[in-house]
Amino acid sequence: MTDKEIDRLLKSAGTADHALDPAVAQRVSDLVLPKLEPVKPLPSAGVLAMGMQAVFVSVAIAGATVMGFNGLHVLNGAQGSLIFWVMGSLGRFAAGSAAAEMVPGSKRPVTPMLLLTSCIAGFIAVFALLFHDYRMDRFWFEGVRCLIVGLGFAAVAAFLLWLIVRRGMVVRTDAAGMAIGTLAGLSGLGMLESHCPILKSMHLMVWHVGVVLLSGLAGYWWGRWLRRA
Amino acid sequence: MTPDADLDGLMAGYQQGDPEAAAALIRRVSPMLHRFFMVQDVSRRYADDLLQETWLRIHEGRHTYRPGEPVLPWLYAIARHVRVDQYRKVRRVETREQQVDALPEVRPESQAEGPDLQAILGSLPESQREVVYLLKVAGMSLEDVARATSSSVGSVKQKAHRAYEKLRGLLEGFARTKTRRAP
Repeated sequence: MTDKEIDRLLKSAGTADHALDPAVAQRVSDLVLPKLEPVKPLPSAGVLAMGMQAVFVSVAIAGATVMGFNGLHVLNGAQGSLIFWVMGSLGRFAAGSAAAEMVPGSKRPVTPMLLLTSCIAGFIAVFALLFHDYRMDRFWFEGVRCLIVGLGFAAVAAFLLWLIVRRGMVVRTDAAGMAIGTLAGLSGLGMLESHCPILKSMHLMVWHVGVVLLSGLAGYWWGRWLRRA
Repeated sequence: MTPDADLDGLMAGYQQGDPEAAAALIRRVSPMLHRFFMVQDVSRRYADDLLQETWLRIHEGRHTYRPGEPVLPWLYAIARHVRVDQYRKVRRVETREQQVDALPEVRPESQAEGPDLQAILGSLPESQREVVYLLKVAGMSLEDVARATSSSVGSVKQKAHRAYEKLRGLLEGFARTKTRRAP
């Protein structure tokens, strides 16, 4: 049997009348028609992504302004350029991904899981490439402080991002939550890179990158809870 | 005008609160969605429930449709998520058996012509079944099926290819059985 014959068989079976129980059709009409009001469609994906990128950049800059730009002063030109270029690129991807997750049946530029993994792997690689101070003194004390501050600003970014995406959280809330959480985590990481003057490799790879990981996972669990609710 | 362009106009009317457009959309789309649920090997009553739940979700999320975008991937993506969510809810109380390798069950009234759509697709794993349905029965493009199922075009092609290999074996087996039964 050839593919064309199977095609024909499926098409002929598919074109046969499929009768819907009139009572069911009536129930659907009764559900929808009485609650009919005009609605405004969501803005385009590009506009939504730009709004989210604006939140991502604004929270990172505002956070560093409040906490101090100590981190920027200790980075040389090449280090600063590479870190913030990677951050900007991943932030753009994350915003595009979150905008796509808002609309059912939209084209996904990247899955949120791949996005989160890329962010973590990308920053671990960048920090391993740029910094070679592997001392572990004051690892926990300095690290936990950075983690808490980074997550605090990520939470602010997540709240502002939620104001943008809440109209679109219809079906893939877990995936959308992970994309938003990752973008918020990148915002927290951006603030830390501008503020934190510690350039020890393990500190950066564990505690700074940990902000993105925890924020992304928190977004996922929040979306999952929304989906179940 | 293509069917999808026609649906696009009805969706735009629905978003603007036009009751005639909404009623026409319900008439056009409901049988398609109902059939989509039926080929997922569920009972008619369960498919009725899923259809109503889907319309609730469509109604709540109608603002997420952007005029000019294809309608069918948007609709089927919502329907698919409703099915998955409902399945997860009832999974704890229902034990489902999926006989993947068995011949499709043939309904008595369709023995003369051949297996019906539900019987043909019922033999496939769920992910392949929905891809074949959307591609060959709903008539969607590879790109649109990828959008509706949140996967890549490559993955859709692979699932369709595997499904066709399986269907070929099953349908040839069916034809042989029918020939032996013939007087």
